[in-house]
Amino acid sequence: MTGGGHGAGPLARGVAWTTALYLLLPISIVVPVSLTDQRFLSLPYHAPSLRHYANLFTSEAWLGAVWQSFWLALASTVLAVAAGTLCAIGCWRLGRRSSEAVRALMLLPLIIPSIVYAVGLYRWFGKLDLLDRFLGVTLAHAVTGIPYVVITVSASLAAFDPRLEQAARGMGASLGQTLRWVILPRIAPGIASGAIFAFIHSWDELVMVLFITSRDVFTLPRKIWDGINENLDPTMAAVAVLLVVFTVLLLWADGELRRRRES
Amino acid sequence: MNALRRDAGWWALLLPAFLLMTVLYVAPIVQVLAISVTEPQPGFGNYERLLTNAGVQRVIGTTLRVCAMTTALALLLGYALSYVIALARPAVQRYWLLVVLVPLWISVLVRAFAWVTLLRQQGLVNQGLQAVGLVDEPLRLVWNEFGIVVGMVHYMVPYAVLPMLAGMREIDPRLLAAARGLGASRRAAFLRVFLPLSLPGLVAAGVLVFIFSLGFYITPAILGGGKTLMAAEWIKLQILDLVRWGMGTMLATVLVVAILATLVLFSRVVDLNRLFGGARA
Amino acid sequence: MSGTAAAGHALDLRGLTRRYGTFTAVRGVSLRVERGQFLTLLGPSGSGKTTILMMVAGFVPPSEGQVLLDGADITPLPPERRHFGMVFQGYALFPHMTVAENVVFPLRVRGLGRAERDGKVRAALDLVQLSPFAERRPAQLSGGQQQRVALARALVFDPALLLLDEPLSALDKKLRAELQDELKALHRRVGRTFVNVTHDQDEALSLSDRVAILNHGRLVQFGAPAELYERPRTSFVADFLGKSNFLRGTVRGAQGGAAVLEAGATRIAQALPDGAALPSGAAALLSLRPEKIAVLAEGEGADTVVGGRIAAWSYLGADFALDVRTDDLGTLRVVLPSWRAPIRPAEGMAVRLGWTADAAVPVEEDAAA
Repeated sequence: MTGGGHGAGPLARGVAWTTALYLLLPISIVVPVSLTDQRFLSLPYHAPSLRHYANLFTSEAWLGAVWQSFWLALASTVLAVAAGTLCAIGCWRLGRRSSEAVRALMLLPLIIPSIVYAVGLYRWFGKLDLLDRFLGVTLAHAVTGIPYVVITVSASLAAFDPRLEQAARGMGASLGQTLRWVILPRIAPGIASGAIFAFIHSWDELVMVLFITSRDVFTLPRKIWDGINENLDPTMAAVAVLLVVFTVLLLWADGELRRRRES
Repeated sequence: MNALRRDAGWWALLLPAFLLMTVLYVAPIVQVLAISVTEPQPGFGNYERLLTNAGVQRVIGTTLRVCAMTTALALLLGYALSYVIALARPAVQRYWLLVVLVPLWISVLVRAFAWVTLLRQQGLVNQGLQAVGLVDEPLRLVWNEFGIVVGMVHYMVPYAVLPMLAGMREIDPRLLAAARGLGASRRAAFLRVFLPLSLPGLVAAGVLVFIFSLGFYITPAILGGGKTLMAAEWIKLQILDLVRWGMGTMLATVLVVAILATLVLFSRVVDLNRLFGGARA
Repeated sequence: MSGTAAAGHALDLRGLTRRYGTFTAVRGVSLRVERGQFLTLLGPSGSGKTTILMMVAGFVPPSEGQVLLDGADITPLPPERRHFGMVFQGYALFPHMTVAENVVFPLRVRGLGRAERDGKVRAALDLVQLSPFAERRPAQLSGGQQQRVALARALVFDPALLLLDEPLSALDKKLRAELQDELKALHRRVGRTFVNVTHDQDEALSLSDRVAILNHGRLVQFGAPAELYERPRTSFVADFLGKSNFLRGTVRGAQGGAAVLEAGATRIAQALPDGAALPSGAAALLSLRPEKIAVLAEGEGADTVVGGRIAAWSYLGADFALDVRTDDLGTLRVVLPSWRAPIRPAEGMAVRLGWTADAAVPVEEDAAA
């Protein structure tokens, strides 16, 4: 840091650099593999080729899975953002023991393994007739996406002066007007961050999908899962590259949002 | 009561999330707990198997062993990484943070797939080792515990870094400069000043990584190749393939209880808000 | 903004009490402010003054007691239905809105038409002389300008009352004095009832028609500023509002509006305000303002005369402040106009002090003095 001029020692640096390579290299290896000219997973033999990308973009099965995942993620994000934002605002304003307990409840999906939830859902959705249905997966992903929204929105509310809310109410604004004109515009970047994370959550989610879908709902993670378990073909590497690019773009967008909020 | 009526509007804001959470999250999980003591017969028969069934005991043993190794390695690598990040200049810090955050948000499937590509018998690592003549036979790097630990540590390092880094950032860097100024060597300054102050973050990271590892499904399932069974995959096997709901939900309940008990035990040092609050570039 | 004196409203507080668990922040406060008056709630931090304001505004429900506006009980009304203007501590301007958007906010939430809104906003900004800054954001304004935006925003919707929570505390000393004058002028112009909260005694004295002095959640004294200054009821009031010397003595003979107190060898002649009685033989406490003590010239007399030596002194421009050590009354603080002062102070100098029988006031002793 600037203050002390005390940097880390050579041992710590060595381990840190090794760890950085360990974290990044395996992920980047999918890029050359996706460009292979062979029919199996390998580095390009003769020259890089885009055949697996072409394969991906003409495959109805892959594109279908991508679109299904996209719409699912979008729908569950809308639900999670709406419910999570209102809840975070309510808990922030009430600030009681009881509302803090509600907030803790919202964080439960981060702690309880999704395998446990998936097992429960399998039975529960059977009763509610939601198995293998778009609505069922949307609801499951929305509920488990709420914690991300609650956390990011709470973080931006922590920087929000509670007197602004009092001032608005004191000047005659109803709760709805206060939300719309005073609170929401101030915490919009936090909501957007929450939305990005809720979207990524649904977009990547596999465990629940394995239990509550079979044929009608077939998401991208499900397709990749089958691909890994059945035939490891280089199209998978192309998918992986596109997913990495997509995630990095979303993270970049989040970084931009935060920068704007800070300025 | 007057105060309650006054705040009724704010309570109403909690309602949608509360209903969604209780009806669609808590209820299914409570049902899991209920099934474990009602099927196939009411009673604690399923839990008695914990003491008698060698299969369950082996799975629990494997899970604990892999989780302990994962936690230890993730903490070691994560600590070094956090330490370097915390002491780096702000401009450099941003790049180091990307090293942590990008893997964190990249699909766990993509990462498992990448490891398979690298580590399987015909994979790039074995090809490379054979090409330079270091080994004759391909090494068995995946579909065993080694592969699982490699993949899980890779997944968990970012989760280890976030709480440790949050704690280290609260340490005043001038303290280290002061220690050096008072005649402490770099090693002594680290051991006497930095390490004790970063201990709460280290414990929080350890708890977090351990409980995330306990119930982890995807990476062990892919990199274990069905040969090394951990708790989550065993549960899936019981429910989806063997249709033994009682046994599956029993182990699921044990998982939940173990995780919640650990959290309660360490509730003073583990703050989930801070963890995800720290997940920013 | 067409305020006339008749536009103010009268405010009654009856037995207001607020408890937080076992802690009582405000206990049994009752007072009445007439139409168009400027009331200040004055007290040290933790005296309950802000809690009272929050109960008037409706943000904090009282545990007991009522708030009445022109005789009508408004205690159960939520803040947004009381139509009170409020200037918050630190102003609470909306940072994502311009000055004009901030000021129009109360009109917007009331669903006023555009033309009417624009007219009122312009009038309000004119009132505080901020029209040229209408399109700026709060962060681009100075502290004093922000305070005026907060005032305009609180007045734009013709509120029944204007509540001010430490409106000047965020400003530096010089600016505070200027804005104090401006606030006073504004009160005259709009003629509304103002309720102000402060811990600054000068601000309370110069702005207010009525001051309520609070300590530990209780109303200690309520009245016009001069009344409180000249006739403090307790030692806390005497000490908190201005400076005071406290004289302890035993009452020796009291008859017909005058008494003599004895402190050691010193005899203090004390006039008794109407109705006050000091039983003979009882211990009594007097509050004596430093500026009411004179340094006597050779041969000059007074109702009470005390000899002493100057222990310390300082020059304050307009005045000298002397600490004079006496045998029987401890150290007395004396403030002496420096212009043509009868003496040139020096440490150790012997002086004779004197004051008239009506200079000091008997006060009750309360813990905080």
